[in-house]
Amino acid sequence: MVDFIVGKYNYWIYIVLMMIGFYAMIGKKNLIKKIIGMNIFQTAIILFYVSIGCKKGATLPILGHAHGHAGQAIQTSAYINPLPHVLMLTAIVVMVATLGVALAIGIMIYLKYNTLEEDEILKAVK
Amino acid sequence: MKILNLIVVVITGAILIYGTMDMPGWGDPDSPASLHVSPRYITKTMEETATPNMVTSVLADYRAYDTLGETTVIFTAGMACILLLRKRRNGHG
Amino acid sequence: MIPAFDLVILIFVVICAIAAITVKDLLSAVMILGAYSFFMCLMWAEMGAVDVAFTEASVSAGIGTVLLIAAVYRTTRRSKD
Repeated sequence: MVDFIVGKYNYWIYIVLMMIGFYAMIGKKNLIKKIIGMNIFQTAIILFYVSIGCKKGATLPILGHAHGHAGQAIQTSAYINPLPHVLMLTAIVVMVATLGVALAIGIMIYLKYNTLEEDEILKAVK
Repeated sequence: MKILNLIVVVITGAILIYGTMDMPGWGDPDSPASLHVSPRYITKTMEETATPNMVTSVLADYRAYDTLGETTVIFTAGMACILLLRKRRNGHG
Repeated sequence: MIPAFDLVILIFVVICAIAAITVKDLLSAVMILGAYSFFMCLMWAEMGAVDVAFTEASVSAGIGTVLLIAAVYRTTRRSKD
């Protein structure tokens, strides 16, 4: 039971973070708050993927004595899985790109309707 | 309305927590994610790319087309921002 | 990976996330989101993903915060919820 909780508790906290971002996206009326919620959601998903790559007792995915021991076999279990890190580097950059486009659309909405609140915008559209 | 949002969020979170029950524990060296593709990258990166940093060798050598696509995404986002925020000449459009 | 250190940073991250979406002033929310990004960066450095931590510290906590501050400066600081 204790092993189960120690192995799983951080997944549960990531889900709590994701749900905080999701609530901000669907529940808050302010557009900037919605964008902040989207940022929190994306960061929580990236955190989940990075945590999949963890291994107990392994070190960073950088070969320390690579040039000295050229012929020596490399232990797979001695290094953290580098694949999630690579994919999440791409995801972080895409995250900032979506943030920029979302903020540009938010600024244009403010210039047209002079408010950032969703209900006032919907009232002005009708 | 606030209550409805909270109910949706709690149900989604409960389904996701139910989904973690079958996942391998945190830091398990025998998890499926660290057995299948990544040993190839870890063991062969020095002799194939001569880069000690595995993340860099996978990012810029094995999966360089992925990085090229990422650059396209950033370019498209920058163009979208410029087109949205440019000065309008005659008030509309 | 150190579980105790990990748990402490995770609690800070959750507190920052809740504060960022509950505070009324938008500039404060953006600042708390910057702190959230730096805690997240610390978390990834602790998990061994140093490249991801560098990218997060420069791109998300730097450029993302600057973009959000620019947007808040061009629109308004007030928010109803």
